[in-house]
Amino acid sequence: MARYGMVFDLKRCIGCNACVIGCKQENSLPDGMFFTRTLSEEYGVYPAVNRVYIPTLCNHCEDAPCEKACPSGATYTRDDGIVMVDADKCIGCSSCAIACPYDQRSQIDKDLLSHGLFGTDELTPFEEDGYKRFVPGTFTKCDFCSERVDAGLDPACVVTCPTDARIFGDLDDPGSKASTLIRERNGKPPMPELKTRPKVYYID
Amino acid sequence: MAIQETKIVGDSFQVGVRFQRYWDTSMANAFFCGELGAGLFFISYLFNFVSGMVAGMLITGIFKTYFHMTHMGVPMKSWRAILRPDRSWISRGLMAIVFYLVFGIAHCLNLTFHLDTAWGLGSTVGYIVQLLAAFAALVVMTYQGFAMSHSKAISLWNTILMPISSLTYSLTGGAVLTMLLVNLSPEKAANWEFLTGGILLLLLIDALVLVSLLYSANKRSEGGRVSTLLLLTGIYRQAFLYLVVGAGLILPALLLWLLPGNFAAALLAAVAILAGYYGYRVLVFKAGVYEPMTSFR
Repeated sequence: MARYGMVFDLKRCIGCNACVIGCKQENSLPDGMFFTRTLSEEYGVYPAVNRVYIPTLCNHCEDAPCEKACPSGATYTRDDGIVMVDADKCIGCSSCAIACPYDQRSQIDKDLLSHGLFGTDELTPFEEDGYKRFVPGTFTKCDFCSERVDAGLDPACVVTCPTDARIFGDLDDPGSKASTLIRERNGKPPMPELKTRPKVYYID
Repeated sequence: MAIQETKIVGDSFQVGVRFQRYWDTSMANAFFCGELGAGLFFISYLFNFVSGMVAGMLITGIFKTYFHMTHMGVPMKSWRAILRPDRSWISRGLMAIVFYLVFGIAHCLNLTFHLDTAWGLGSTVGYIVQLLAAFAALVVMTYQGFAMSHSKAISLWNTILMPISSLTYSLTGGAVLTMLLVNLSPEKAANWEFLTGGILLLLLIDALVLVSLLYSANKRSEGGRVSTLLLLTGIYRQAFLYLVVGAGLILPALLLWLLPGNFAAALLAAVAILAGYYGYRVLVFKAGVYEPMTSFR
């Protein structure tokens, strides 16, 4: 069984946010909700100033604090390592959001689903169809586009990235591109000191 | 470092510190009522003061439950919260409250109607029931602090001082309510001077725990430093200094120390203590922030 993970190449990311749009479109995310973000950070002192873009999403931790905190069993890990949320079991208690050190949980507000992407209180046919997957009041997050993965495809953010800054693959396969990059370019997980063992790595 | 120099990025696409926005005022209300009710029960238990114990259980059982339900995204499914006691703090906490209420009610019934002797069970059973009730109340008093301290995401909370502050504030709130209720009740179960002295000591301990909490958060991480600055110099400065410190600790200490035995002063001190305690509960939630996730760089 594969153990899926993702690698972010910070040298390649140009901060275009195409991944963010691709994710929103794939997952029919309402206004203001994101499963992935490309954060920017400026560093250095003038005139030697630089900016780095740091993509973020759910890190699908091996030792996921959100899964431990979930009192209803709604958060679970699939055999392939993807951390999922069963909306039918979620009670919207927000303990997962408090437990996640990466702030990668979003609550589906009922109003959010009725306002519409254009703020006109009318839903487009795309929204009407897409919002059926959400249960108001529950929490949700990135699931590595599990339906696409099950169909043998890469997540939407990965195929949308114009610079190949996102690499998805099997971390247990030493020959996969993701594993090779982590090994050869010393990939580092976010906040390793917390020992959540993320399956997302950054290479610089 | 001033608060203006720290990078609080809100919901923007920037690296920095983000406010926790999931546990809001309804959750603070639930925590406040849970701790206050359990504290009142525990202090009243020490004096066999049945009215106080019943009031404590009502505060916890009704108000804590109500505010938790208002916080739930899907309240109709909230029964599912008890399903994972092996892993989840919420599941175990819910069970602790059920134990506290069941054994608390049993203890109060036994104290009032002497059921253990009436049913021929012997005093040992009554003794075990009251010990279990007191232990469960102690668990409820500290438990919410433990649940908060377990969150590695928020440095202000991620400390053993959080359950300690829950315990000391809970005892203080419980003691001051017991003092008032004893005075209003015909039971006269507790000594007024003894309770006043105890409350003054607890206020001193509350202050020490509060200072330690801020000091340790400030030293621990960038997020902890931001939380401390938010409370001491930032947007929550006035509420923290005037409500939590001024009204919650200094004013009642002065009133109880300078006007001993005065019921009006005690009543004012009780209102001030509870206002400060509630302010503390709300502000600890509001000042909680997520760390920036760039420590790998």
